[in-house]
Amino acid sequence: MDLFPLRLSLAVSVAATALTLAVGLPLAWLLARRRFPGRDLLEAAVVLPLVLPPTVLGYYLLTLVGARGPIGRALGAVGIDLAFTPKAAVLAASVASIALLVKAAQAGFASVDTRLEQAARTLGRSEWQVFWSVTLPLAWRSVLAGAVLAFCRAFGDFGITLMVAGSIPGVTQTVPLAIYDRVQANRMDEANALSLLAVGVVALLLVGLGRLARLRF
Amino acid sequence: MHRRTLIGLLVAVGLPVAGVALPRAPAGAAPAPTLTVFGASDLAFAFEAIVPRFERATGARVTLVLGSTGNLAKQIENGAPADAFFAANVGFVDALAASSAVRPESRTLYARGRIVLATTRRSGLRLSSLTDLRRPEVKRIAIANPEHAPYGQAAREALETAGLWDEVRPRLVYGENIRHTLQYLQSGAVEAAIVALSIADVPGIDSVPIDASLHRPIDQAAAVTTRSRQPDLALAFIRFVTGPEGRPIMERYGFALPPSGGS
Repeated sequence: MDLFPLRLSLAVSVAATALTLAVGLPLAWLLARRRFPGRDLLEAAVVLPLVLPPTVLGYYLLTLVGARGPIGRALGAVGIDLAFTPKAAVLAASVASIALLVKAAQAGFASVDTRLEQAARTLGRSEWQVFWSVTLPLAWRSVLAGAVLAFCRAFGDFGITLMVAGSIPGVTQTVPLAIYDRVQANRMDEANALSLLAVGVVALLLVGLGRLARLRF
Repeated sequence: MHRRTLIGLLVAVGLPVAGVALPRAPAGAAPAPTLTVFGASDLAFAFEAIVPRFERATGARVTLVLGSTGNLAKQIENGAPADAFFAANVGFVDALAASSAVRPESRTLYARGRIVLATTRRSGLRLSSLTDLRRPEVKRIAIANPEHAPYGQAAREALETAGLWDEVRPRLVYGENIRHTLQYLQSGAVEAAIVALSIADVPGIDSVPIDASLHRPIDQAAAVTTRSRQPDLALAFIRFVTGPEGRPIMERYGFALPPSGGS
């Protein structure tokens, strides 16, 4: 069996989870700790990807990053192709999953006693140091839970990836797209095998991560 | 200590990103030219037979991307790396030609679709014509969405011409595309379905043709995209499908041929 979709999906989900952490953690911290104009709007915008149907969201994204969209044209000017490449699959998976990470991390950060952060500040720690040495270590369970949810959602994304990255075999065809393709072609044995394999690999990864988290913390 | 382990965990997630190079799109330097063909999903079976023959004849490689004609058209409009596009409806190709996404001179009618009335052998239900849809045992009927799916449009026209539309309408279920419509029938969710002849020849399904004069012709067109770097090869593939090698295969899979012929 062709294992390309599985390798692609794993790489895409890992990259998307990392991107989601990089963008989502600062967002979650802002939402949990700061009051600023437009905060409610930002909070609503974060969960918007969960509300819109994935193919519709994918279509909007495509009009932004496609060859004729503003972002697509700007990237094209510096020689970067985004739409219909594996990078587009990473973007799609990140958009699909960021809300899950942000909401979990935001709840985690909000539950950290602000007096502990204050104590760190009185000891001369900068905001940056307070985050890394107090807030994040106390909220890690929530962050990890959010990251796991984000990884799974990224792995399973279908609609957004289908529109922005396409279902090109050997290039952007991730596991969900490959399974759908096999079902459409009435090759149910291959579809079932791929489904089982994907579920098995991801379950193993999550069990391993769970063990690791309990051992190390 | 917590801090260190947590950062370690984040790095453990982040590092593979730096390390695992995402698979790259095949570069232009590949030894055999690779043609990317976008096609409507009703072509699945026919193209499975045609593509290997084309590859043998030309030495080129073909990557087939099947999907809903509407989605594929939107993707081509937004710069998808397709060389040729086989739409389930000529309208999509004409719209793309108008926006210069495909080359108008390459526009080719490659098939005329036919619709059939299908039932599952398992159900024991035998329908011989559209009027049989009146029978009370037929509780639900699947057709493709007549708003945007060409075969759904034809199904609706046929039901209207036969004077059955208003009567059967409350029992209709819309599939997203023609394969999806067939899946409603295969799964037993509906007793009857109107689907494309090209996908109805599967085990467990019985079908009777629906008179083509009951609906406007389902003309299907293909074209070479404007951004294709190998327009000659793409056009060669379209001519292959409508030519002496492709025609009999297309006919075998239920695609009637447009009267004007291939190229």
